[in-house]
Amino acid sequence: INMFSSLMLASLSVLTLPIMSSILNTHKNSTYPHHVKNIISYAFITSLIPTMMFIHSGQETIISNWHWVTIQTLKLSLSFKLDYFSMIFVPVALFVTWSIMEFSLWYMHSDPYITRFFKYLLTFLITMMILVTANNLFQLFIGWEGVGIMSFLLIGWWYGRTDANTAALQAILYNRIGDIGFIMAMAWFLFNANTWDLQQIFMLDPNLTNLPLLGLLLAATGKSAQFGLHPWLPSAMEGPTPVSALLHSSTMVVAGVFLLIRFHPLMENNKTIQSLTLCLGAITTLFTAICALTQNDIKKIIAFSTSSQLGLMIVTIGINQPYLAFLHICTHAFFKAMLFMCSGSIIHSLNDEQDIRKMGGLFNAMPFTTTSLIIGSLALTGMPFLTGFYSKDLIIETANTSYTNAWALLMTLIATSLTAVYSTRIIFFALLGQPRFLPLTTINENNPFLINSIKRLLIGSIFAGFFISNNIYPTTIPEMTMPIYMKLTALTVTILGFTLALELSLITHNLKLEHPTNMFKFSNLLGYYPTIMHRLPPLANLSMSQKSASLLLDSIWLENILPKSISQFQMKTSILISTQKGQIKLYFLSFLITLTLSMLLFNLHE
Amino acid sequence: MSLAHINIFLAFTVSLVGLLMYRSHLMSSLLCLEGMMLSLFVMATMVVLNTHFTLASMMPIILLVFAACERALGLSLLVMVSNTYGVDHVQNLNLLQC
Repeated sequence: INMFSSLMLASLSVLTLPIMSSILNTHKNSTYPHHVKNIISYAFITSLIPTMMFIHSGQETIISNWHWVTIQTLKLSLSFKLDYFSMIFVPVALFVTWSIMEFSLWYMHSDPYITRFFKYLLTFLITMMILVTANNLFQLFIGWEGVGIMSFLLIGWWYGRTDANTAALQAILYNRIGDIGFIMAMAWFLFNANTWDLQQIFMLDPNLTNLPLLGLLLAATGKSAQFGLHPWLPSAMEGPTPVSALLHSSTMVVAGVFLLIRFHPLMENNKTIQSLTLCLGAITTLFTAICALTQNDIKKIIAFSTSSQLGLMIVTIGINQPYLAFLHICTHAFFKAMLFMCSGSIIHSLNDEQDIRKMGGLFNAMPFTTTSLIIGSLALTGMPFLTGFYSKDLIIETANTSYTNAWALLMTLIATSLTAVYSTRIIFFALLGQPRFLPLTTINENNPFLINSIKRLLIGSIFAGFFISNNIYPTTIPEMTMPIYMKLTALTVTILGFTLALELSLITHNLKLEHPTNMFKFSNLLGYYPTIMHRLPPLANLSMSQKSASLLLDSIWLENILPKSISQFQMKTSILISTQKGQIKLYFLSFLITLTLSMLLFNLHE
Repeated sequence: MSLAHINIFLAFTVSLVGLLMYRSHLMSSLLCLEGMMLSLFVMATMVVLNTHFTLASMMPIILLVFAACERALGLSLLVMVSNTYGVDHVQNLNLLQC
């Protein structure tokens, strides 16, 4: 008996139960957050069964339930595509969300609206599931917009703070610009392929796919914070730490990459778009890694690290390896969420202190957090045989041995070493050395919620890479033979980064204060990108539109062209050429004399 | 030319000279303009009645109508000048200079 589809539907619908409970008003009691966390853990366990069935048999399923509407020749229905990508992503996402829910039970414990917070997180998870399991572009768009809206609500959770409101607005605006690309792709598919179903698009295999793929690339740039639409991601750190951990490290920002991965049959045949994604990802990863070097807020450094890893994923898509990019999404979710949770534990322990210049010496005071932070950073930089190694090292190897753009490759390698540099920076400033925080501390990491959740993700980030890599079926043939220096490239640049950062930190620890150089300012102010782009284009747009609308039409065309110009012209010329002085009597006298003279002449002349 | 015609013609000439040569008040030139008009009216009526030129007996009436309009215009100009300056001395009319 094949219960694959019903089990999957069961695990998806179980998630919607707490939302329904708000109709019955049972969500006002204080155990609601515990209910939510339990439900997510049940959903995770339930979804493991279909995943294992899928891995065992390799069959994909498409559940097409409910025919919604047919608009002339376009049939829209509710359809779930349960293939390799969604089946592996759903358990990973549910596991990470379970840990984050448990963590936020500790972090948001004193918040009076904690039930609303959990409801928002749950809604976000549901929309993310809709996005991942969507089979047609319409359902994907519903999930896409849903995660955008929940991101807005969650970033602006502490809405009394101006910075939080502007950050939420920034997120929405940048996502909207990306949505233009999405809608353009949808329109192109509607016109040229007469469908929004992924199966039909891949079967038809249209020839000139430049335009829709450009649209999808723009959508991914907006949602996944690639270069050009990136400032919203560091600003989104104004939200609470569980929000940063869930949205902006594991689930929402990978929606853009996920979209590109979904369309990989179309991207295989289009070399132009591949080069474009490669260069875009390379620029992103290098630029954000540079910006991460001199930030002083621990959450912003981790945010830039996320952005850099996203660039790496886009680079992987650019070298035509969608399955590797997907593997990196799954492994990255584990250690990035854990890094955010460790930083949340540090922040809460130091009484909401987020500046790393005011932390230090936590190595002895918070051993568990220290352990997980170090392991998370090692996994991030691709330490052999931890989680990150299985995806990141494979990516670097494949990039080295493939026929690709050398400049993009160089950028990616530099960014990889910079990853090690800023990870060392976090460890050095936050954990080592002498304490730089206030003596009256509230350091306490003994809460079981905190410890259990971080412990779960810790085990995940050590073993998940191995576990997942051994259980999926091979999709592309990895390059097995390469020169030894290429094989060791990733390891070498990482170790180089580590040692360089450690040496620099130790040497410059006791120097006198210098004023920041230009390079420092470039890196600290995010390369001046937000400063320029948030002021100049809006000013230019608004002033140009005001001038063209009111000044050009109203005042010039209606007022100035005929009436006022005529009056001014007449007055000027009449003053210029008239010689009268207003001597009326003289003029009348001359008239009389002329008249008399003429009369005399006529009469006496004969 | 008979004596009556010469008389009226002389009245016309005196008014003309008075229009063109006045001292300081704009009102006096307007008055002389009225005198010219009056003499013209009388002259025209006399000639038409003496020569029995019936078809042209409308002409003096129409002349009167147009003179009334012209009187109104002249008086309104006078009122404008009087509004600006208080008196209507001619030496005040010097705005349109270079």
